[in-house]
Amino acid sequence: MIAPDNGRPKAPKASRLDFEGRAIPVAPDDTVASALYRAGVRIFSRSFKYHRRRGLYCLTGDCPNCLMTVDGEPAVRTCRTPATEVRTVARGSGWPSAGHDLLSILWRLRAFLPVGFYYKSMIRPRWLWPLAERVIRRVAGLGPIARDLPVVNRERLNHHPELLVVGGGVAGLAAALAAAQRGETVVLADEGVIGEGLAPGPARARVDALRAQLRRHGSITVLERALAIGLYQGPLVPIAGADRLHLVHPARIVVATGAVESHAVFPGSDLPGVFLARGAARLAGVHHLSPGRRIVMVATSDEAMDHLDTLRAQVARDAGASVVAVVAPRALAARVPAGVEVLHDGAVVAAFGRRGVLAGSDGGLRAVVVATGGGRRTIACDALVLGLGLEPRDGLLRQAVCEPVQGAGEVVSPGCTLAEAEASGFAAASPDSTIAVAGAFVWPATERALPPVASKGFVCLCEDVEAGELAQAWDEGYRSTELLKRYTTVTMGACQGALCQAHLRAFVGERSGGASRPTAVVRPTVARPPARPVRLEDLAAGVRVPLEYHTALHSRHLALGATMEWTGAWKRPSHYGDVEGEYRAVRENVSLMDVSTLGKYQIAGADAMRFLERLYPCHIADLAPGRSRYALLLNEAGYLFDDGLVCALGDDGYYITFTSSGADAAESWLREWAESWGYNVHIANLTWSRSAIHVAGPRTRELLAKLTDDPIDAAALPYGGVSAIRVAGIACRAIRVGFVGELSIELHLPTRLAPALWDALFAAGTECGLRPHGLDALKLLRLEKGHFIVGLDTDFDSTPAKVGAAWAVKMEKPDFVGRTALERLAKIPRERSLLPLSFAGPRAPEEGAQLFVAGAHVGHITSSRFSPLLGKGVALGWVRHPEGSPPLAVTARDTRGEVAGIVTRAPFYDPRGERLRA
Amino acid sequence: MALRLTCPNCGSRPHTEFWFGGEVEAHAARADSAAVAPAARPEMNREAVLEADFARVWLRKNSYGIQRERWFHHAGCRRWHTAVRDTLTNEVHDRA
Repeated sequence: MIAPDNGRPKAPKASRLDFEGRAIPVAPDDTVASALYRAGVRIFSRSFKYHRRRGLYCLTGDCPNCLMTVDGEPAVRTCRTPATEVRTVARGSGWPSAGHDLLSILWRLRAFLPVGFYYKSMIRPRWLWPLAERVIRRVAGLGPIARDLPVVNRERLNHHPELLVVGGGVAGLAAALAAAQRGETVVLADEGVIGEGLAPGPARARVDALRAQLRRHGSITVLERALAIGLYQGPLVPIAGADRLHLVHPARIVVATGAVESHAVFPGSDLPGVFLARGAARLAGVHHLSPGRRIVMVATSDEAMDHLDTLRAQVARDAGASVVAVVAPRALAARVPAGVEVLHDGAVVAAFGRRGVLAGSDGGLRAVVVATGGGRRTIACDALVLGLGLEPRDGLLRQAVCEPVQGAGEVVSPGCTLAEAEASGFAAASPDSTIAVAGAFVWPATERALPPVASKGFVCLCEDVEAGELAQAWDEGYRSTELLKRYTTVTMGACQGALCQAHLRAFVGERSGGASRPTAVVRPTVARPPARPVRLEDLAAGVRVPLEYHTALHSRHLALGATMEWTGAWKRPSHYGDVEGEYRAVRENVSLMDVSTLGKYQIAGADAMRFLERLYPCHIADLAPGRSRYALLLNEAGYLFDDGLVCALGDDGYYITFTSSGADAAESWLREWAESWGYNVHIANLTWSRSAIHVAGPRTRELLAKLTDDPIDAAALPYGGVSAIRVAGIACRAIRVGFVGELSIELHLPTRLAPALWDALFAAGTECGLRPHGLDALKLLRLEKGHFIVGLDTDFDSTPAKVGAAWAVKMEKPDFVGRTALERLAKIPRERSLLPLSFAGPRAPEEGAQLFVAGAHVGHITSSRFSPLLGKGVALGWVRHPEGSPPLAVTARDTRGEVAGIVTRAPFYDPRGERLRA
Repeated sequence: MALRLTCPNCGSRPHTEFWFGGEVEAHAARADSAAVAPAARPEMNREAVLEADFARVWLRKNSYGIQRERWFHHAGCRRWHTAVRDTLTNEVHDRA
């Protein structure tokens, strides 16, 4: 199965694109970079710090030079982006434009901007730095980020292949085919479209032949234009496809990411017109563009000589263009055709750009200086093509720690032949050859030669780190690869060290004393994800598909105009537009609340009573059928983590409730203890199958009497009572509860019947002044009663005594979960309590207000509301009282000032509970 | 992290479907929590009981290597199982 993952809905195929207001014609096979180059664009970006001109350089997606803003997305590698899918392109930085950038003066001012200048200067006076920071942030970097881009919701897709192959070159294709031939499932990912970046030649031919074979294997999934972001423990390799994030969980991995042409460091090596050989060959062989009119090439390998042939074939078609000189070792000189000057065993030591920039010159390459045994030669040219050697593109491979990963092809042996690459891919795919790399990635025993150390020139193109700046940092004492990385940001840019790592190591090796150097100092910097630049939308893939639970009454709430809020995974009404009206309905008439989100469990079986007796800190055995009791839930450390009701049902066991947020975890808690103790109990989670409607207010009985013939008077259903009644013909379990402090009954019933009951209550309640109330009203109602909400008012280490709920814990019981811990904690003086506070002033302090006594900070407020009925603010707050008894008065300080309050007693409302028990 | 666990009911599933429930030793000790309750052990020195309880609640082996541990399959069958995992490599063994 071939499933190229480039299925993003595309704009219609364009025949032109907009480049900073210019219409640029586009050929079918163009990348954005090649289309711009054909149209004469030479300056592709301005550098990170010094605003130097940067042109096309690697064309393999490794260097930062072609990063542009594409259709609003910043820092897109235009050398890998098909031009036909793009509408607008612009260069990110430069003022007034990247073409004529006045900020390039910064290069002349570099003496004032050494590495780490922002740590050393502009620090005093103190007000200077915030101003300087704003300027630096505006001037440096890759340009601004558009803030009006549409939100992209990406999905993620999991794959579980036996083999993942990263890289669709010869080695990678051979590995994928070898595994598929054994019948294994394979995912093959490549950054581009397999083969498309290669100029015609033996490599391209072999890749095309192998690629054709993929079709024969249904077990290979091909992901093209898909970036492997990193290699995580598991192993897990997230791969950013064009339209979704692939999470690949393979049994084994072959990394065949190839090699990148060695970066060159000499003065002027970053000028537009300097190319790496594979990039120039791609420009010539794939896009039929000459890198210049007068080309100088440096070639050190047979492969580079192939690229020379490709270049010559192109310039032959291009009137006036020619390769003027080739710098090559004597061994390769025979391959240089007649008519081209050969400089044996030379090296380019400097390059110069065109002058007269303000007069309209683009500042591109003008001449290069070549040092040979016979002295220095200056050669006029406008393109320099560098085939100096290869560095492994091993960012991903070096992330492999203790994972079944094998490298194949050029990433382990840069410059290997096609046959060697194919054989190495074939071997790497074998389950026998795949080794779990222990510890950090081990570099090949035969250490590759490091490049010569230059004293001038840009080591790092991404972050604009110059050779002299490394020397300066070294002299300041940053004397290892890792320290230099952190101080100068070398290897930290978009290329993640692909270009600069070898130069950094060579520099450190030379400075630290050649052969006797301590290896830790010259080790490559640690590779970490992301190996390639990653979009935030890929990191967030899948998380914007929220799990949203709705109760059976959700549409009823919306129809009533409810404002909904998240409570855990549930959506619940905050209010229906009038919090105080909802509150007054409860206090004066009757009101409904949907409490279906409560955790609801039935516990039955021979040991049900013993089980709950040992689980809860309150008595269970004496709970008669038809009675309920408020119960705390303690963990083994004696800390409160949930609360709820226990209802005794007689032969049917117990019906127990938990808070909405605790409902899910309650099941694991119940089952863990039932298993630990080996009790014979059945645990049924009824949270979903049962809904619950809370009917509260002094006219509750008046309302229910219209809908039921069953007795609901104080004798039949007293406070704390539980009974089975039929309301509007629906069988309900009625529980007399007291959270809001009024006569109130919770009706629990099968979820599918909840809308019918809600509608019946609504219809019958009009004459009683019924209206529903939401969480906002509930929070005031319960606060007037001094009730805490677990998790809102309590902390992770709240004991019952600290929150004033010691009455709900029966220490005389021989055992319950947390009992021994409470006994231990009782020996430690309690220095912190959750206390009821009242504020007589015209306003209640804000929630989160800090509490002070005589100017000393003593705690904070967790819940606070102004009570319309009581005419004062009521609150709960944590107060420290190391001296023993809590203070009598506190001052709350919030964003609006100070409010004086007193420590009081709860409940604030109906302290004797007469309304509650009516 | 791409740890996969084998649920006895549901098969091999990603660890994000599970809640971690701690070392199996702590689970096993829960069965004995009554043993440190005063009624069950009248002969035992109360301070020693509290000390033992503290160790049971708070102290863990925190093994480097093979560890038996409890996992709750919250997004599946909603049952506990005991897994054997190498804390160094995250390798999970099917059987204890």
